[in-house]
Amino acid sequence: MTMRKTKLETAKSLAEGHFRVDPNLVRVHLIEPIDQTDPDDPIRLLEVVKGTFERGIEPVGFTADPAHGVEYPSIIVEISPEEYKTVSQGKLHFANREWTIGAELAAR
Amino acid sequence: MTAKDRQWARGFARQAISDLRVREQLVDSKAEKCHRLHFLQMAAEKASKAFLIAGNGHENVKNSHAYIATTLPMIARAFYGKLNPKSEIGGWQVQAIRRYAGEIQLLAPALNNGDTRRDNSEYPWEDAQGNVCVPCEYSFPNIDDRDQDRVIVLLIRLIRQAAESYS
Repeated sequence: MTMRKTKLETAKSLAEGHFRVDPNLVRVHLIEPIDQTDPDDPIRLLEVVKGTFERGIEPVGFTADPAHGVEYPSIIVEISPEEYKTVSQGKLHFANREWTIGAELAAR
Repeated sequence: MTAKDRQWARGFARQAISDLRVREQLVDSKAEKCHRLHFLQMAAEKASKAFLIAGNGHENVKNSHAYIATTLPMIARAFYGKLNPKSEIGGWQVQAIRRYAGEIQLLAPALNNGDTRRDNSEYPWEDAQGNVCVPCEYSFPNIDDRDQDRVIVLLIRLIRQAAESYS
């Protein structure tokens, strides 16, 4: 039986796939912390995309897709390179939440 | 996602699928392009909204039409990124969907790109020369929605697949 990938492994795999298909994607960060104990808690990624509209922090949620090797739900936050420069102290704020920008998974 | 948000996301996703079905009926009945595009815009908007609800919660999703241009390319990146690297999906598909998503967003009458794009799929508008333009008589040159156009086929398939993931 194949072992379930960890959330970090899945996050890296998602980042690789996103880089492969979108030439406008310039960097991907993990948003931390990852809760490996709760499979329903989403993997969160910050994706910096050239040319995107600057709408601030507006997460987009995706379901798990085990048929394609994604065992966990995920949330993507997309910002522009200019917005990335202004993110202060490695924190993302929206609604009443504060997320920490973590390890960079990939960069172009 | 709360159970209530899941219901909202499902509701928008199912309505998006229904909008696509009506679009197909309009194509089959050779309805004017404005109507086909109108239902494409509505389907794209509702599918995008399902994903925004999943990420933000229904109460936090802004009440505007201005999110197709960002959300659809994100959906494309996520769905295509999961496919086998040997599949034929390359960078041009996401770029093309990004361009079409921007045009589809502008089909909503409330969005006119700072008054530079008054063309929309629903209501007559006045062009820069003072002529009254009518959607059912307008060619919408920036979007080819015929089935022969590769991008539109990809886009509709993506919207349907994305909506089905929440339906």
